[in-house]
Amino acid sequence: MSNQAKTRTVEEINEKIRRGDAQVLTAEEMKRLVEESGVEVAFKEVDVVTTGTFGAMCSSGAVINIGHSDPPIKIDHAWINDVEVCHPGAAVDLFVGATNMSEKQPFEYGGGHVIEDLVAGKEVELRATAYGTDCYPRTSIKTTLTKDDLNQFCLLNFRNGYQRYNCAVNSSDEIIYTYMSKLLPRIRNATFSGAGELNPLMNDPDYETMGMGTRIFLGGAQGYIIGEGTQHSPKNLNGTLMVKGDAKKMTPEFLQGAAFTKYGTSLYVGLGVPIPILNEGLAKKTAIKDSEIFTDIVDYSVPRRDRPKFGKVSYKELKSGSITVNDKKVRVSSLSSLKMAKKVAASLKSWINEGQFLLTAPVERLPTNTVFKPMRQTEEIPFVVSVMHPAITCTENEPIQAIAERIVTKSVNHIVVVDNTGKLLGIVTSWDITRAMAEGKKALADIESRNVITAKPDEPLEIASKRMAQHNISALPVIDIERKVLGIITSEDVSRLLGR
Amino acid sequence: MGRILIRFSEEKVSEPIAAQIIIEYKVPMAILSAHVNSKGGEILAEVPDDMEEKIVKAFRKRGVEVTVPKLIEVDNEKCFSCGSCIALCPVEAISLDQDSSVQFDKEKCVGSTCSICVDACPARAIKSVKNGAKKS
Repeated sequence: MSNQAKTRTVEEINEKIRRGDAQVLTAEEMKRLVEESGVEVAFKEVDVVTTGTFGAMCSSGAVINIGHSDPPIKIDHAWINDVEVCHPGAAVDLFVGATNMSEKQPFEYGGGHVIEDLVAGKEVELRATAYGTDCYPRTSIKTTLTKDDLNQFCLLNFRNGYQRYNCAVNSSDEIIYTYMSKLLPRIRNATFSGAGELNPLMNDPDYETMGMGTRIFLGGAQGYIIGEGTQHSPKNLNGTLMVKGDAKKMTPEFLQGAAFTKYGTSLYVGLGVPIPILNEGLAKKTAIKDSEIFTDIVDYSVPRRDRPKFGKVSYKELKSGSITVNDKKVRVSSLSSLKMAKKVAASLKSWINEGQFLLTAPVERLPTNTVFKPMRQTEEIPFVVSVMHPAITCTENEPIQAIAERIVTKSVNHIVVVDNTGKLLGIVTSWDITRAMAEGKKALADIESRNVITAKPDEPLEIASKRMAQHNISALPVIDIERKVLGIITSEDVSRLLGR
Repeated sequence: MGRILIRFSEEKVSEPIAAQIIIEYKVPMAILSAHVNSKGGEILAEVPDDMEEKIVKAFRKRGVEVTVPKLIEVDNEKCFSCGSCIALCPVEAISLDQDSSVQFDKEKCVGSTCSICVDACPARAIKSVKNGAKKS
């Protein structure tokens, strides 16, 4: 390529890699170079920029073929280390899904761990059952396997490398455990995921160089992009990748099983894509910085598809360790590993420098117009708002006698205690009144419950109903974000609607 | 300052032993965390190094179990430095160092009396150590 050329090709870069004089920088190094010397110089000097990410990628799995037993079996149900694996095809092909959990140690060990153990060379136990056919007569089998016993051990991940992801918080009064990890009540912490400026798709946001057939770093070995990932949503910078690779060659350092308390298991995947700097535009794009990448702060306490948001935040702020939510400083930590993401980018760089890794131009680029649609639902599910009715209320200075009368005249079991602006203070039940009579108590303050379990109007009824059962109570005041009482739902309302 | 973990049995918890020792020895004991109810409980406290031996003996004489807590165990083989634990830590004992590795400051950690990070670790690399080493 002459110095004046405005473009270079993948083949020209590969020629340089073979000769050992390709210039390869990690995405981090590229950003520094562009800042110091500008895009023009960076384009002239740099042939390839390596990216990397290392996060929990739940839509991961492995296709394995275990060979035929004698007599042969057409597997119907199978388990590896007590994790159910599925049998999507013929007799002895299995799919190990990262999120399938062990029946003996659920939430602690799952498909992700099975994949990690196999990659690490450990022996795993296979159990399988079958209904038996004339050609496959066997009905059960038990054996141990290592990766060397498998014919194929193909990592096949249908959604990896998310371009960016939400920052999660929890505005409720209770701790919640999510796929975004443990979220403390009243927004006392925040979590995020993604490598930001090191993410492969962020460095080539128009997918000029990526698509079917792009050779990548996957789990410590060479793998390939095989198309857009599921839920690929390029228009709002939420692109994803579908990838595959030979897991026999991978290393457990870059494929690690993970357990999220009360959520389930997953697999952390090291994934890196080399971006050939084919033109100045790509040199500029690969200079993108964390301060230019924004994501939403999302309230995970609302279990709906569209959760409320608390504004936007940059990856620079996220990586700084604290962000501001509702004018309050909140500490934030990552779920994906920046250290490992850097290691992926550095490993890929050294592979190219050593001539072990040649670039490929995609056979077909990733689409830039896919839309991620919500589910078509043919059955409506009930929400709290659909059964809630007005609450019978009282104030804190009313005599118990008056409250007892109200329970009788309104024929209810629950009276909600509010202040003069209608905000929730407590709850009194007919049982509390009975007890007050028996024990001779006169003041409402002595009998009301102040630690009130509540519901929000836009919550699914089923979740509110579970909360009642969990706390062994029969009603939930429904409140808004300012704790103003909007109404009440009772277990009778729920059973009338849900039939239980 | 040295850390001691004081465990009260159900029989001992109703006696004002900690208060008596603080008064008797004039020890400026800082209580880092306390979980005590009528069934017993434990207090993690900090005492000046030069008084530690005396204070430990004083508690033991009154029939209270005292250990020097080894607070937390981190399996560095398992930890892949995601950092999920960092923002949860109430005493800011966990941080990312220069090369983005997760570091635990065992001096700051209050250990088994907190353990908030333990079930948030996706690699299951953190163990809270319930039984601290016996102080001789």
